[in-house]
Amino acid sequence: MSGRHAHGAPECVALFAKLSEYLDGELELGACADVEDHTADCERCREFLESLRRAVAHVASLHALELPENLKRDILSAYARARGSS
Amino acid sequence: MEKVTRLNANLPVVEKDPDSDELLSRIREDAPGAFDEFVTRFGGRIYAFGMKFCGEREDAKDVLQDTLLQAYRSLRELEHAEAMTSWLYRVAANACLMKRRKGKFDPEREISLEELLPGPGEAARIQIPDPAALPHDDAVRAETQARVQKAIGDLPPAYRIVLVMRDMEQLSTQEVADALSLEISAVKMRLHRARLMLRNSLEESYAADRRADGRP
Repeated sequence: MSGRHAHGAPECVALFAKLSEYLDGELELGACADVEDHTADCERCREFLESLRRAVAHVASLHALELPENLKRDILSAYARARGSS
Repeated sequence: MEKVTRLNANLPVVEKDPDSDELLSRIREDAPGAFDEFVTRFGGRIYAFGMKFCGEREDAKDVLQDTLLQAYRSLRELEHAEAMTSWLYRVAANACLMKRRKGKFDPEREISLEELLPGPGEAARIQIPDPAALPHDDAVRAETQARVQKAIGDLPPAYRIVLVMRDMEQLSTQEVADALSLEISAVKMRLHRARLMLRNSLEESYAADRRADGRP
């Protein structure tokens, strides 16, 4: 591991709390630069961030289920019945 | 079910969507085909959402039907079309809770960040494959999806629901907060922990495969 500190130092723990906001682009510029400076210097944090990004990307790539046609028919029928009885 | 009048007071107006405006107008008028269009637009998403929490097709079907019928009636009173999605997920979340027969999506206790820090024994190299670099092989993609679905299913429900709404359904933080009646800070906190748990679970899952294959 390269860098000016040992991985697991307080800087690493502080960074750990901000990673989702960093990935979502919700950190202010200064905090964002802090994350980038730190990960440029700390290989383990850089890899952790990358593995977190991959995990989130896997979730985002799951497709919504196509609504089965028979379910759609059932719902439309239930709606028609509800209208008829109201 | 919460009153729509209260919903209107609580929900902020987010970005305008002409399609939502038009659909809401048609729903208010109970125009021919409006319910059909509503089901076509949201049915797949709500069905997938129900499957994530109920795990059973029959329960997910009930959640879908209850949600769409109940929401359609209530949406006529909704003032802002931009609030339609979060309102719909609020109804769906309540329908899921009824199926689980539990009061709220509250964890027994919040999981601390310290519990999710990677241990010293974790492999140094990244185990999770990059989704953008996966081969175009249906079997590999299906296996990956099943592994991710399993990891999501193993999350505690209070964290899982936030992850599914934000990262899968792509709702905004504000929409999730509105749908679950949570503070923005609580949504962010649970989302971060859910992602960390998911990441740790996937890392361990891929690392176990490597060990089983005798790879370093």
